[in-house]
Amino acid sequence: MSKLSTSGLTKAFSGLVAVNAVSFAMEEGEILGIIGPNGAGKTTFIHLVSGILMPTSGSVTFKGQDITYAPAHKRSRLGIARTYQLIHPLENLKVIENVMIGAVFSRNRSLKEARRESMEICAELELDRLDRDTTQLSILEIKKMEIARALANEPEVLFLDEVMAGLNSDETKQMIAMIQRIARERRLAVGVVEHVMGVIRELTQRVIVLEAGELIAEGPYETVSKNPRVIEAYLGGAA
Amino acid sequence: MANKRNATVLVGLSLAAVAVIAVWKPTVLIYGIQAAGLYASIAIPMGLILGIVHIVNLAHGEFMMLASYATYMLCSATGMDPFVAMVPTAAVTALFGFVIYRLTIRQALKAPELNQLILTFGIAIAMTQAVNLIYTSQTRKLSFEYVSASIDIGELSFGIFNFVFVLVAILMVVGLRIFLTRTTTGKAALAVGQNPKGAAIVGIDVDRTYGLVFALASALVGMMGALFITRSSIFPGVGSPFTMKSFCLVAMAGIGNIPGILGASILLGISENFLKAFRGLRGWADIVFFVLIITVILGRSIRGKKA
Amino acid sequence: MKLKGSYLAAAAATAVVVAFPAFLGAYPLAVARSIMTYMALAISWDMLLRSGQISFGIAGLFGLGSYASALAVLRGGMDPFTSILFASAFAAVMSMLLGLAILRLRAMYFSITTLALMEIFKIVIHNLHDFSGGPEGVVLPEPIFGGSAPALFWLCMAGLFMTIGVSWYFEKSKMHLALTAIRNDETSARSSGVDIFKYLLIAFVITSTLQGMMGAIQVQSYGFTTPDTAFDANFTLLPLAMALLGGIHSTIGPMAGAVLLGVASEWLKLKIPYGHLIVYGFIIILVILFMPQGLVGLARKTIRNGRTGVRHE
Repeated sequence: MSKLSTSGLTKAFSGLVAVNAVSFAMEEGEILGIIGPNGAGKTTFIHLVSGILMPTSGSVTFKGQDITYAPAHKRSRLGIARTYQLIHPLENLKVIENVMIGAVFSRNRSLKEARRESMEICAELELDRLDRDTTQLSILEIKKMEIARALANEPEVLFLDEVMAGLNSDETKQMIAMIQRIARERRLAVGVVEHVMGVIRELTQRVIVLEAGELIAEGPYETVSKNPRVIEAYLGGAA
Repeated sequence: MANKRNATVLVGLSLAAVAVIAVWKPTVLIYGIQAAGLYASIAIPMGLILGIVHIVNLAHGEFMMLASYATYMLCSATGMDPFVAMVPTAAVTALFGFVIYRLTIRQALKAPELNQLILTFGIAIAMTQAVNLIYTSQTRKLSFEYVSASIDIGELSFGIFNFVFVLVAILMVVGLRIFLTRTTTGKAALAVGQNPKGAAIVGIDVDRTYGLVFALASALVGMMGALFITRSSIFPGVGSPFTMKSFCLVAMAGIGNIPGILGASILLGISENFLKAFRGLRGWADIVFFVLIITVILGRSIRGKKA
Repeated sequence: MKLKGSYLAAAAATAVVVAFPAFLGAYPLAVARSIMTYMALAISWDMLLRSGQISFGIAGLFGLGSYASALAVLRGGMDPFTSILFASAFAAVMSMLLGLAILRLRAMYFSITTLALMEIFKIVIHNLHDFSGGPEGVVLPEPIFGGSAPALFWLCMAGLFMTIGVSWYFEKSKMHLALTAIRNDETSARSSGVDIFKYLLIAFVITSTLQGMMGAIQVQSYGFTTPDTAFDANFTLLPLAMALLGGIHSTIGPMAGAVLLGVASEWLKLKIPYGHLIVYGFIIILVILFMPQGLVGLARKTIRNGRTGVRHE
């Protein structure tokens, strides 16, 4: 059984169809790339799967359970975590509190336990000086903090929305290694939205391609990147 | 499609209700519309500020109150008629509004919305209390003979003076429409209201526009303050219910929809006067408006969720 | 060490406040009661503000509590102390029912709605002549505890301490994480498992209960009330100004603000009978424009700058 799957998932905003009948599945331990030109509906798709938006039609299934209309906080407790394309630090909380919140509310940990677990996660991600304000962090550190917060949910499925944006090439390499290690050690299913194709090639085992809200191709990056429809979608998008 | 059908049904029902009231108690309709004129002409300047500067001015009613006091002083000292005094009053309140904008609101434009709300709340208190300090809380009233003008149609007898406010409201809607669509400054203001960043890029001075809109709205509400003393007595707290009422009407009409304020006012005016028509329910008439505002706000938020 | 010091200071301050009736006369005790009431309201207002929701309806819940308590005594024959508990419970149930609807609103829509609700309460009380006494208000047979000044002081103090305790719990428990997360970023909070509506409802019900309780204590202490006193806009305005001046999003800030403004307003009331509230208007304006973090925020900044200054040298 798949960890997470969708069937005919559709979202229309007053007539404009942002995601159109997308069906896909994610397996345990898999890193899946979600690619497509700008405005293809990638972020909307993640919003639908994580419960930030509710679909117009179609369904979302998590480990055999229908969660199509479950609110975001329930999905987080079931084991679906995510980060955001635009960084969302909680500015009035310390770094450690930003991470703890996932453990406290998704898994009902006491503050003390949550703090201990969060410190372990941060150590694993090489994020230190956890009593700082989030305003003092570098971009890399904020990204790590957001991943740490997602991991504190102890998810089974993790979505990373453009987590490499704003990082330099060294930091990107470091991040790729880190994501691969996390996915392997925690047997996670990871969904990665990314613009840089080099990252996708290195990081993912499989990709799905969205264009104008529709899933137009699926498979290993090497195959998909030779698909004429995909090439046209990207060229069309660029032109 | 469904929306259109619903709207048609709604309009039909309202017309039916109005027809029933017109036959059964025509004065409800007449006084309702007169009240609507007053509500609308006070609310429209607030709608202008909210639509273009995107600030809820919780001191709106207090601007009017201040203008009422200014007019009162002017008229009782010189014997001037409020319809004449409204010109200098409007000029002074325009200046006053502009100064308040430059000194306070302008500094808070980039602050969180909640700060703006509390800021204008503070301005409202300072204004009310300043008047309280100078003039005490005593109520004041000037009488004018023309206010009691009435007309008889068959058995029906009613006051007609308050139709002035209906006229003023219509003039405001028409005037603002011409200003916003025909003049360069007005078009610029409209552009700023829709997209301040975009407007700045094409070379419109956003800050100047905001100041101008604030001054214009203050002038209009100042004019209303002058006319207000013809029909009501004034005291320091007289303006604050109008802040609420104006916000309610603007929210009902939808931000940026100035003619809609007129429609919302008619609904409010007639419902209030409907309750006032029953002796036992008179005291409850004020509640109509508060229930209406909550219903409208909740309704909008639920509909917003669905969309 | 530092923690121990602040606990000691708090204990000492508590002891002094508890002992007030031993060395203060009736007038200063009444002033102290008024300040404590405003302080409790300021703290409770701030507690909800920590979630980003501004309530303009403090006076509404306060008045509701006053009337629930007074009418329970007059019409229900309840004893005064029980009526305070009853009024708190009444405020809790009412705020729960209202919260289910209005906590879906945000920003100015929430604020305006709380203001409108307050007006509705007031109009209802005004118009239910036979039950509520109408505009003339209600007079109780006698104030609670026979109107003994020390007893009234301690009653009010108990209400305040309860509020401080709850607020302190809000700061130290997961409520702090939940409310701050909601204030900072609702989307992010949802993705981390925070049930936003649940926590907003908890905060709204608890703060409303405290406000209702303080209203009940007030009416039982004075022995009478009218719609215009119970729903006086000052019960919204003063706490708001106090919390802003002292520093929002904390317990200590509203407390500091309440002491400062409370004492100042007592003094001003004697000097300027009409319009002394103008000071509150100006304080709100100046704080929002120049000192949005309040006195406590200013103090923290000064201390921090002082420390880093030392480190650099």
